[in-house]
Amino acid sequence: MSNGTAIEVQELRKNYGAVQALKDISLDIAGGQIFGLLGPNGAGKTTFIRLLIGSTKATGGSISVIGFDPMKQKSALRAEIGYMPQDPALYEDLPPWENIRFFGRAHRLENLAQRVDEVIEFVGLTERAHDPVYKFSGGMKQRVSLACALVHQPRVLLLDEPTSGIDPKLRESFWKHFRELAASGVTILVSTHQMDEAHYCDRLAILHRGSLLAEDSPNQLLWDSRAQVKIWRDGQVDKQTITNYPDQLPGVLQNYGLDKTISRIEIAEDNLEAVVLRMINEREAQQTKEAGHA
Amino acid sequence: MLETLKRTGAVTGRVLQQLKHDKRLLVLSTVFPLIVVYFIKVIFDVLASPGFNISRYVVPYAGFLVHFITFVLTAIVLVRERTAGTLTRMFVSGYTHVEIIGGYMLAYSLLGTIQSLGVIIEINLLFDLGFETSRLASIYLVMWMLAVISMALGILVSNFARNEGQVFPFIPLVVLSVILSGIIAPVEQLPDWVQFTSYLTPLFYANEILQNLIAGGVLSDDWTSLVSLPIYGIAVFILARLTLREMD
Repeated sequence: MSNGTAIEVQELRKNYGAVQALKDISLDIAGGQIFGLLGPNGAGKTTFIRLLIGSTKATGGSISVIGFDPMKQKSALRAEIGYMPQDPALYEDLPPWENIRFFGRAHRLENLAQRVDEVIEFVGLTERAHDPVYKFSGGMKQRVSLACALVHQPRVLLLDEPTSGIDPKLRESFWKHFRELAASGVTILVSTHQMDEAHYCDRLAILHRGSLLAEDSPNQLLWDSRAQVKIWRDGQVDKQTITNYPDQLPGVLQNYGLDKTISRIEIAEDNLEAVVLRMINEREAQQTKEAGHA
Repeated sequence: MLETLKRTGAVTGRVLQQLKHDKRLLVLSTVFPLIVVYFIKVIFDVLASPGFNISRYVVPYAGFLVHFITFVLTAIVLVRERTAGTLTRMFVSGYTHVEIIGGYMLAYSLLGTIQSLGVIIEINLLFDLGFETSRLASIYLVMWMLAVISMALGILVSNFARNEGQVFPFIPLVVLSVILSGIIAPVEQLPDWVQFTSYLTPLFYANEILQNLIAGGVLSDDWTSLVSLPIYGIAVFILARLTLREMD
């Protein structure tokens, strides 16, 4: 489901002293999409999200989130976005109900109590709504944190590693929630360093050391991935590396000629993790080469 | 304006709720000053010679106690908000600087009120000061103002600390203020450059008013100090507002 551009970033730069945390990032994120920000620790994902919420000022470039400039129209923007930080950021001696109500009170919600009940139900914590948060597991705290970000029905949801440190079952339920929200028209930007989560996203941006390595749909990124083809013929193994294997494999097989001497064919296709790691390695090799020339 | 007041009230309500749940902190912050005052009484019983004017020292010491505890408490609680990420979350949710600082100050004013009240009742009973109710009320007002300023100072200091441990280097500054404030030695007898630093401590103005009250005067006798104290508080509040960052 897509309805126009929700987030537009042009040549975004952020420096912390001499360190370049983000280098000329340009991205368009369509409304109602789940957009994944993928990259290892230190890639610049958190900095990118902090720039979108207006918590830190960009060194250069421009940002528009649902038409608002995060620094110049901070309060108007913040009424429309939900933010879930990497750490739960909750008042642990208070129960979920009180935490959510407190963050909800910053917005002028007429039906706040009802909304608090609804989001607690949405994240499946109705039975524990009045227990203090310090008694909760890490995953439960993350659910409370998500509920806090959702209470005012934001149009854009910015989630900084929301599934970090939680078990696979809960992770799946989180992604189910995100899917439901996106289906209702909410634009979701979610950062993660867990490659296996990438396939949940409609589109992905891969960041490494502040640079944008690629931006595409998960399928397209895999489409351009490499596959190694091993063909056993007369007891000999022949290896070939091809890209875009659904298109190129028939050609490879045609070259060999499919006769009885071919006893076995193995195709080892890159997964997204391998694709990303290769991109990172290629970028690092390029940078080393450039540094050598300089 | 009404919305700002409502949101300030929301911050106050949440801080008070947390205090209600944190009984250990609540008890320690209200009982600890009472215990210290009791030990001051024990020391004075040993040291004071007949005719020694105990109230000249005891009343400002009690004020300093409230000042010190409120300062440390506010600074640490605000730093905890920062390290837990809840401060950033408050900002992103839409709370403003003034609402957050104002909400905190209102909540801790209540704690300061209880602390000041407890300490004044205790010193009046233990040291048999014999002050009439109006004088006690005036002393109370000064102590309460000092407590509120301490909160603003605590918030200001917390803006320069990234964790609880970084609050501690600021504590000697507050302890130093008791030396410079005129409680121990008259400020006029200190070297000129030291006198200048005395004017930078809120305890100096509070002590000036308290000494006048102890000597039998009334609040209106020392307008300069009486007005200086809230001005000092407003200045610190503005500085705290200007230096409060959403995140590091």
